[in-house]
Amino acid sequence: MSWSELYLGPGTWILAVLGGGLLGMDAVSWPQVMVSRPLVSATVGGWLLGNPAAGMLVGAVLEVYALRHPPFGAAKYPDTGPAGLVAGASFAASGGTAMGALLLSVALGWALGWIGTVTVHVRRRLNERIMSPADELAADPGLLEQRHRVAIWLDGLRGAILVAAFLVPSVLIVTLSVGTGPSSLGRYAVASLVLGLAASAGAAGRSSAFGVRGWPLILVGAGLGVLLVLGGLT
Amino acid sequence: MKPLRSDHLAAWSRTFAVQGSWNYATMVGTGVAYALLPLLRRIYAGDPVRLRESVEQAMRPFNGHPYLCAMAVAALGRLEQDDVDPATIEKFRLALRGPLGTVGDRAVWGQWRPVCALVGILSFLLGASPGWSVAVFLALYNVGHIAVRVWAYVTGWQAGLEVGRLLKGAWLERWTERIWPLNILLTGTVTLVLADVVVEQSALPLEPAALLGMGAVVVLLAFRFPRQGGRLAAVLLVIAPLLWLLGGLVG
Repeated sequence: MSWSELYLGPGTWILAVLGGGLLGMDAVSWPQVMVSRPLVSATVGGWLLGNPAAGMLVGAVLEVYALRHPPFGAAKYPDTGPAGLVAGASFAASGGTAMGALLLSVALGWALGWIGTVTVHVRRRLNERIMSPADELAADPGLLEQRHRVAIWLDGLRGAILVAAFLVPSVLIVTLSVGTGPSSLGRYAVASLVLGLAASAGAAGRSSAFGVRGWPLILVGAGLGVLLVLGGLT
Repeated sequence: MKPLRSDHLAAWSRTFAVQGSWNYATMVGTGVAYALLPLLRRIYAGDPVRLRESVEQAMRPFNGHPYLCAMAVAALGRLEQDDVDPATIEKFRLALRGPLGTVGDRAVWGQWRPVCALVGILSFLLGASPGWSVAVFLALYNVGHIAVRVWAYVTGWQAGLEVGRLLKGAWLERWTERIWPLNILLTGTVTLVLADVVVEQSALPLEPAALLGMGAVVVLLAFRFPRQGGRLAAVLLVIAPLLWLLGGLVG
């Protein structure tokens, strides 16, 4: 693919950055309708670059990986909204078929998700300052409302900055990788992703089951998956 | 004064932003105060001193599942309306923190969200369009999401101080106990079908039986040792593109 074939003009970039803002807000601040899940955000990224199916494939892989990170209590989890958008857009920009591009998009999306987690931490520290001193805010409820809304907008800004900073580099890296064809190591690379999915599913299943019970169910589920594949339903 | 229907609607809609100013000092406390303000303004209309005291108390550290914070907001509003003394309200706030977090986390983050996401992915893998699959996920998830928020708010307002007792053994907990097998079953199915799609897309000569056997062993080991399983998954995710790129370089 040549650079001229790559559809990432300023208009698309601006839309992606605005989308990143919305997706960045959704996970925690507002409205938590889960458009920030990678399943959605990567599809949006793919759609922006003209290939929603490619985005969704990346999103599906990231979603299975994210399943083992439920935001229980003080648990740390990847910020998948802006990251999913960047990953989905990157794979879509590469054409949405090359395996090397898929592997790289998913890994970049995962890494960006954890970078996003760091920015969430920074924002929470910033919120401590924004929402103080308490007596001043209590004395003026209008000010409390204003500061609360500022905090929400800052979360949106955080998501937008993440997409603005990482979209173009990620698209370029993934698109460059398209030229890398399969090699003798290729099948080990694919097997690595598949076994990674299996490990993630096992860990996620354990957190869903609240204990060691239920392990046969995941194998039964996989058995159903085999039937779906063999039955040609996929 | 008694809050009007519009005040309740404003307070309920503000619960969607209850985590907007989440911070390590008060956690969701400032968000609870923000959501509670439409009720407090009506209850303490013409009494700025009581309004100030109530807002100050509402801003204190609090935590809970964001959807179930609607219950805390409504119940606290009810206590303020019933003129319950501040010491009792503080005890109530402290007692409510634990159950609101545990019940909501287990039901929504632990079960409902994964089930809906897996249904969305499965519909895509079975041939539905990306737009349709995303719509299935969002519609299914948010029907449950909105229902929980409405139930939480109405229950909080009606029950007031009794809300903690109602939360224990409520339908949300019973439902969590029932849905987890479906969650695990779907996790297994989706992972296998997704893995098959990835292998198909690669068009590489992989041994399906060997990969399936190794996958089964890895799943069971990760189920038994989830922390290590999670780390292994992350390592394999990073190794995969590196191997591909390395292979391309060495030929």
